[in-house]
Amino acid sequence: MSKKRDRLQIIHDILNAIKEKNGRIKPTNVLYKSNLSNQMFTEYINNLIIKGFIVESTSKSGKTYSLTQKGFDYLNKYQMIVDFTTSFGLNG
Amino acid sequence: MDYAVVPHWFLGYNIFLELLFFIVTLMVGVYALRIYQLSGQGQSKLFGISFLFISAAYLIQSILNFASSYSMAEGCNMQSMKSMHALGSLGIYTHIILFIAGLVTLAYMALKIKSIGAYLLFLVISLGVILVSSNPLYLFYTLSSILLIYTSFYYLRNYLQSRRVNSLIVLIAFLFLLFGKIHFIFSINHGAYYVAGHFLELVAYSLIFINLLTIIKRK
Repeated sequence: MSKKRDRLQIIHDILNAIKEKNGRIKPTNVLYKSNLSNQMFTEYINNLIIKGFIVESTSKSGKTYSLTQKGFDYLNKYQMIVDFTTSFGLNG
Repeated sequence: MDYAVVPHWFLGYNIFLELLFFIVTLMVGVYALRIYQLSGQGQSKLFGISFLFISAAYLIQSILNFASSYSMAEGCNMQSMKSMHALGSLGIYTHIILFIAGLVTLAYMALKIKSIGAYLLFLVISLGVILVSSNPLYLFYTLSSILLIYTSFYYLRNYLQSRRVNSLIVLIAFLFLLFGKIHFIFSINHGAYYVAGHFLELVAYSLIFINLLTIIKRK
């Protein structure tokens, strides 16, 4: 049985899905790749926009998301973040 | 107010150890805030702030001990004794306030409550009780021990959930911090316990430092 994903892992999966599409992706694709319910997905995306990890752009073809430098930094330092938060009990 | 008795031979070593604790806690605090910047996780911010409070408490303690040792070495008259006593009291109260603020922030982080009102209430009650007490030092060690017992249980749960070596190291470190504070309750006026407390803290902060180093090296 697979282990339940924590918040840090979910954020990593969302940001990674955006990165894999060269940093620009439509909401439905992120929703599919992140494996979240619609409500949870909206909460996470709004939170990531507020905290400056991603930016939302709207064009004729619809809404897209792209990574900010902070989003790229999160992906690069992900293992270190997990190690630190797990050992010091900050992963609540 | 009772004072912790420092054995004569230990003067100087205590200042060195307190500076060492200041550096380690400062590093952990700064690193936790860096993790907060990267991840946006509120718990890392609280953890960082708590360690910065503790770090400032050690800095004040080491400066105070240095000033006392220097005054003693210079020789003293009644006037300088009075000013040394005033400086000592001010330093002890500042150390107590900062250290308790750090532990309260750490316990608040472990409680996982999101209420600034609850945090301030928790902090004001803790500091208020110590500052109006007729024996603040005794109450400081008692309250520190209670907060460290809660924090140690939190890290025990954390280890049981993750089963990782790093989590175990942090748990052991907090247990050493607890032992370093808890025995002071029974032995404030005993120099040997002052020395033992510093060595227990040394083990605790060495473990925390080793944990931090392994994380930094792995990246």
